[in-house]
Amino acid sequence: MRVVIAEDNALLREGLVLLMTSAGHEVVAVAGSGPEIMPALLKHRPDAAVLDVRMPPGFRDEGLRAALEARREIPGLPVLVLSQYVEESYATELLGGGAGGIGYLLKDRVGRVDEFLDALDRVAKGGTAIDPEVVAELLTRRRDSPLDSLTPREREVLKLMAEGHDNATIARTLVVTERAVHKHIGNVFQKLGLPPSDSGHRRVLAVLAYLAHTGRP
Amino acid sequence: MWKTVRRAARATAYLAGAAAMAFGTWLFITVLLIAAFGTLAVAGAWLTPEAVLLLRRIAGAKRNMTAAWTGVKIPEVYRPFTGTMRERLVSALRDPGTRTDLRWMAAYWLYGAMFALAVPLWLAGLVIDGVWCGLLRREAVVLPLIVRLADLDADWSTALLKPSPQVQLTARVEELAATRADAIAAHGAELRRIERDLHDGAQARLVALSMRLGLAKRAYGQDPELALKLLNEAQEQAEKALTELRQVVRGIHPPVLSDRGLAGAVRALAAGSGLDVVVDDGGLDEGVRAPAAVETAAYFVVAESLTNAAKYSGVSQAEVHLARVRRGLRVRVKDEGGGGADESSGSGLLGMRRRVAALDGIMEVSSPAGGPTVIEVELPCVW
Repeated sequence: MRVVIAEDNALLREGLVLLMTSAGHEVVAVAGSGPEIMPALLKHRPDAAVLDVRMPPGFRDEGLRAALEARREIPGLPVLVLSQYVEESYATELLGGGAGGIGYLLKDRVGRVDEFLDALDRVAKGGTAIDPEVVAELLTRRRDSPLDSLTPREREVLKLMAEGHDNATIARTLVVTERAVHKHIGNVFQKLGLPPSDSGHRRVLAVLAYLAHTGRP
Repeated sequence: MWKTVRRAARATAYLAGAAAMAFGTWLFITVLLIAAFGTLAVAGAWLTPEAVLLLRRIAGAKRNMTAAWTGVKIPEVYRPFTGTMRERLVSALRDPGTRTDLRWMAAYWLYGAMFALAVPLWLAGLVIDGVWCGLLRREAVVLPLIVRLADLDADWSTALLKPSPQVQLTARVEELAATRADAIAAHGAELRRIERDLHDGAQARLVALSMRLGLAKRAYGQDPELALKLLNEAQEQAEKALTELRQVVRGIHPPVLSDRGLAGAVRALAAGSGLDVVVDDGGLDEGVRAPAAVETAAYFVVAESLTNAAKYSGVSQAEVHLARVRRGLRVRVKDEGGGGADESSGSGLLGMRRRVAALDGIMEVSSPAGGPTVIEVELPCVW
């Protein structure tokens, strides 16, 4: 696939290019600062964009703002945002548009090359990739919520769902059958009072929205 | 005897100045009284702030004169005049400094004439002390009286010109509030700098390292040679990350300070500066140490100054003097280079000044074109 990368740190930029080419992707443009991002995206119309949150000139959240702008200007453009630290509100902002093809991952994840490339694929296909740390933060913060009624296995399933994985991957990760996963998911939705949902991006949104907005202490 | 005469001569010069000033103040007050009545009727109030400014200048000159005699600075606290005519008038009249100055001037007007005593004292002194010391080999008695006279004036002037304790306290509180705000700003900037250093440095290196390891793992089966290359690169990144972490730690609190104390740390700086540096540690090696914040600031002053000297001065020699003084620690760095250090040009001087001000210290930079450049810092602390 054709990818645009925005990363100001030369070391990481070079690393990301190496990573992409090793997986057979083509890096069509590299942006080194916030203002370079949009023109590159508009010019190349890539299959996916990988953006760093903190970019020059302000070294604040230029990358994130470019991601939001890109989603407005080029509807359906898959964007994977990388960040050096987890900020739940960034994830919420990115998912705010409601459409799929969004990822928000810690930069550390690029070390797990296969998982990272898998997440990129997922995002490029309109799916979701949310960093486990964001999900974990959302999960641990709740108290006195229907989450307490979930079994440990159901919690694991919920966590993987929230990260954006599909049933097949969840089954593989937990070493169970897809039928079992399907059953667990049914239980989770029932216990949390959510309407049943398919395995796509809408399901992730439903689960994250639930975690973010209900049962706050 | 000659010493006594010289001292008496100096006292006389001082008293002559004082007498001239006393005459000036006498004139001033007389003119002021006339002007006060005159202007009230004619020009209204607009001359008053100007008169107060002139009063301040006279009092300021007397403060300087007295300080030059006693060696003790008399603090000067005035409020600035701003705004409309009316506001200027109000602040001129309300300023406690105006009252202090007028009080001194009135007293001076009364006792100023006594400086004329110096003249008969000289005549008597030359005769009596001439006999006393020259023939009888005794201590001089009359000439030292002139010195006493000058002392007396200096004492009175100091007492009269000193701002009231309340004013001094107010000024001190304002100063503390300003330095405290500076300290907080400096601290904030410091934290941001550290965060940036970690973000761009070690953290990015570790991500790159992890990426190399991931790629190496992928390549391991098919292309062992590529995997080995990636592993080597990963190790390089790990080493660089460690170096960068060391630098960050050094910037927070130089470990050499903990290990060697300030004198040792400064000698280490001198040795690594690439210059031929003479270090006078002022005996700081022994005994109690200054607080860690003071030592760190002093260390950075020396480090920054030596870096500047090596970069800009164009010479290879420098001197560093450390000294324990009554109120704290004094650091002095001197190079014989071309001078012309400019604080506004983004050199490290501004950062140094902030760091020093944050600890309530004083920093003086003297760098005339042609050199030498001297940076002197005094950091208050309790030993």
